[in-house]
Amino acid sequence: MIFGYLDPGSGSVILQAIVGGFAAIAVTGKLWWRRVTGIFRRKDDEETPAPGKASEESA
Amino acid sequence: MVRALSARGLDDWRALAGTRFFPRLMEAGKVVRTEEASANGQLTGVLRGEAAGMLRHERIPFVSYPYEWPFSMLKDAALLQLELVAAALEEGMILKDSSPYNVQLRGARPVFVDVGSFEALREGEPWVGYRQFCMLFLYPLMLQAHQGIDFHPLLRGSIDGIAPAQAAAMLRGLRGGVLKHVKLHAKLERRYDDSSQKAVRKELKDAGFSSELIKANVKGLTKLVSGLRWEPAGSEWSTYRDICTYTDEESREKADFVRAAAATRRRALAWDLGANDGRYARIAAEHADTTVAVDVDHLTVDRLYRTLREEGREDVLALVMNLADPSPGLGWRGRERRRLEERGRPELVLALALVHHLAIGANVPLTEVVDWLGSLGASLVVEFPTREDPMVQRLLAGKREGTHDDYTLQTFERLLGEAFEVERRQELQGGVRVIFLAHPRGG
Repeated sequence: MIFGYLDPGSGSVILQAIVGGFAAIAVTGKLWWRRVTGIFRRKDDEETPAPGKASEESA
Repeated sequence: MVRALSARGLDDWRALAGTRFFPRLMEAGKVVRTEEASANGQLTGVLRGEAAGMLRHERIPFVSYPYEWPFSMLKDAALLQLELVAAALEEGMILKDSSPYNVQLRGARPVFVDVGSFEALREGEPWVGYRQFCMLFLYPLMLQAHQGIDFHPLLRGSIDGIAPAQAAAMLRGLRGGVLKHVKLHAKLERRYDDSSQKAVRKELKDAGFSSELIKANVKGLTKLVSGLRWEPAGSEWSTYRDICTYTDEESREKADFVRAAAATRRRALAWDLGANDGRYARIAAEHADTTVAVDVDHLTVDRLYRTLREEGREDVLALVMNLADPSPGLGWRGRERRRLEERGRPELVLALALVHHLAIGANVPLTEVVDWLGSLGASLVVEFPTREDPMVQRLLAGKREGTHDDYTLQTFERLLGEAFEVERRQELQGGVRVIFLAHPRGG
């Protein structure tokens, strides 16, 4: 009997844009730019916080 | 082993079975052998509603958990996990979790057992299992390799593993990967704690996140994990056999006794409790399908595992465990991870050079020790080192006079005779140690 529920974690998700080697540079830059220009922040506020339910079935 | 599938699960399975990588990995023994069985309605009620299909899995002979694995075993399981993710990514799939509990061992060979973990990867989505990979594979391995901190109590204490903030607090310095996967990970986790998961994922997608980034991460992690070594100071193959109090003659006598006991018939499962370098477990394995070799000393078990791995052994499983505090039931209602004793009944138990460690070293009353051995319900080869034994004297030297007065051969033989039918008894070392073959009463 094993219950599976996995929270990918917001921080962990963002980190993945950073640790992806060369391919990550553009994505990280874009993420950063959007944050600087405030787009990120605004969207964040608009969304209703949803639990990061990634794994619906028990593993 | 059968698994009931929902309609969606059945679709996922068929997609998986149709890939190139999955049959290849199954053929190589890296994924549990699985076939579709016809659903005959037997399993109705397992799932809410009807089961749409059923899978039949090959049986793994003995279930074990990462808090019982030596370092190299967890490392091999981590590399297997990464290999599967990399292979799946090549065909647009991924594993939705990264749990070492999805890996089991067939002797010294890790096998991935949760075929339900594979799913299609939607482009732009991150690797959901990355955080779990860190918490249950990477951090335990790093803590062991870099700090010499045993990961067993940490994993046994927390079913989800070690959180990034915890790992960051314990890992000093910035050795390979620590900055990225630990320190930065912990910082970002704190920073984005309140962020909506959905918003972050959308933002990532919009910024051009692709499976190429996951591939690069998996590749980096594979290199990182491959490079982790745990080699504690003074790690030459020193240990017991060199410092032990046996002469060659006595070990041979003991080996012969064990061999004779094991050879009486073929057994499905044997346990060697206090296995040390596995010498006697190997003898038991000559006549058993599976032998589980348990010892408290992590380094000794790690070496045993590496040797068995080199030999390609699939019948001896080496585990780290303190038998005075064996693995309990854990997780929800203590049922997600089972107690050692609930994971298969051994038919033969070896308890050599163990009783004195439990009775004197761990202060477990001798009656309790024998009672526990009896509760295993198996034929038993047990060695009793008398008070004249140098190791017993060493253990007693640290105790107050009179604390273990009941630790006598006479008491032990009486208790053993009450719980078991003693078939053979042989003195070793001129009577300083005595070895018994006993069978459960009524068994």
